[in-house]
Amino acid sequence: MSVLSFRRVSAAVLVVFGFTVLEAAAGPAEIAQIKPRQDKLRDMGGALKAITDEIKKGRLDWDNTILPNAQTIKDRSVYLLNWFPKGSGPETGKKTYALPAIWQKNDEFQKLGKAAQAEAAKLNDIALKKDEAGLKAQVIATGKACKACHDDFRSPDYEKENEE
Amino acid sequence: MTSTEGRVEAALADTADLRVWDLPVRIMHWLLVIGTGVCWWSGVNNELEYHLWSGYAILWIVLMRLYWGVVGSSTARFVNFVRGPKAILDYATTLHRRDTPHAHGHNALGAISIVVMLGLVLTVVVLGLFAVDVDGLYSGPLSSYVTFKQGRHIAHLHYDWFNILLWMIGLHLAAVLFYFLYKRQNLIRPMISGKRQVKRQGEAREPEMKIVPLWRFVIGAVIVSAIVYAVYIGFYF
Repeated sequence: MSVLSFRRVSAAVLVVFGFTVLEAAAGPAEIAQIKPRQDKLRDMGGALKAITDEIKKGRLDWDNTILPNAQTIKDRSVYLLNWFPKGSGPETGKKTYALPAIWQKNDEFQKLGKAAQAEAAKLNDIALKKDEAGLKAQVIATGKACKACHDDFRSPDYEKENEE
Repeated sequence: MTSTEGRVEAALADTADLRVWDLPVRIMHWLLVIGTGVCWWSGVNNELEYHLWSGYAILWIVLMRLYWGVVGSSTARFVNFVRGPKAILDYATTLHRRDTPHAHGHNALGAISIVVMLGLVLTVVVLGLFAVDVDGLYSGPLSSYVTFKQGRHIAHLHYDWFNILLWMIGLHLAAVLFYFLYKRQNLIRPMISGKRQVKRQGEAREPEMKIVPLWRFVIGAVIVSAIVYAVYIGFYF
């Protein structure tokens, strides 16, 4: 066996071994997405609630409430679609509302995600402009964009959510 | 005239209509049925815009029923149908008998079911006022007083208590069916027509229902509407 071929073989072995390690690590990496993704989505829901609360109160605190919360939604929404790698659904065996439909009808999921990003960006623009007239309609539009995805791709199983 | 008709006529002449439920009680009962149905459907299907409106409707109906339970007609009043443990036990021990007289208004056991159901509906509605939806968009009118996380938790309680209410409604329907099939007492017709047929002879003369004027209902409606409106705007006057 020549030196060259020994090197080639050992390189090949290492590559195969490396892939095996990566493959094995894929599970935990996807599981690791679930909790932070729930936290981030919850923050976004909380942020939209903070804005609807301001509207309910009838006094809009643009600088302290509406702007930072609109920004949270917009900033988070940019990464939204990265939080759902293949394999991070119920097959992980973890508590998740993510339905398998996310990966089965991924085109539709991506489309709704991008639509939500667009609405979140618009909401942020309105917050920057302090456009009182446009705010309410855009809050509804943004919430509906969130809901559109939740209706089809999030499990409505209420009993599941009583985790911490 | 055939003999059958004659007998029917004779039987009819022997009976009289006794008023059991006044108009407000009947209207509130059936509105509550419709409202609960709409809430159930819209809640399960996440049609929260409709869910909010039907929720306000139910809040209005329940508050009106509570008000009517104090100032309404005799059979609507809590003091007239809520009984103590002894009366309830006495009634329960005759439940298996078919020859028991028709209770005028709620019977002692039915009264418990009414109070429990009203309490459950009120519980579910009040939890709904503070509940937050997953999008933070169509939340209850008082949800601004709780955090997103608290509101989500309340939304789950809202759902759990509604399930308990469903069991209670099931029991209520089972009881009505039991009276119809076993005791041969039709409880549904009086809830529609307001009247129940009684034999002129035989059954002891029962006290006529005391009907109160409708303006009392109107006054209550104005007050309750104001309360529901205040809730709707989250008490941010």
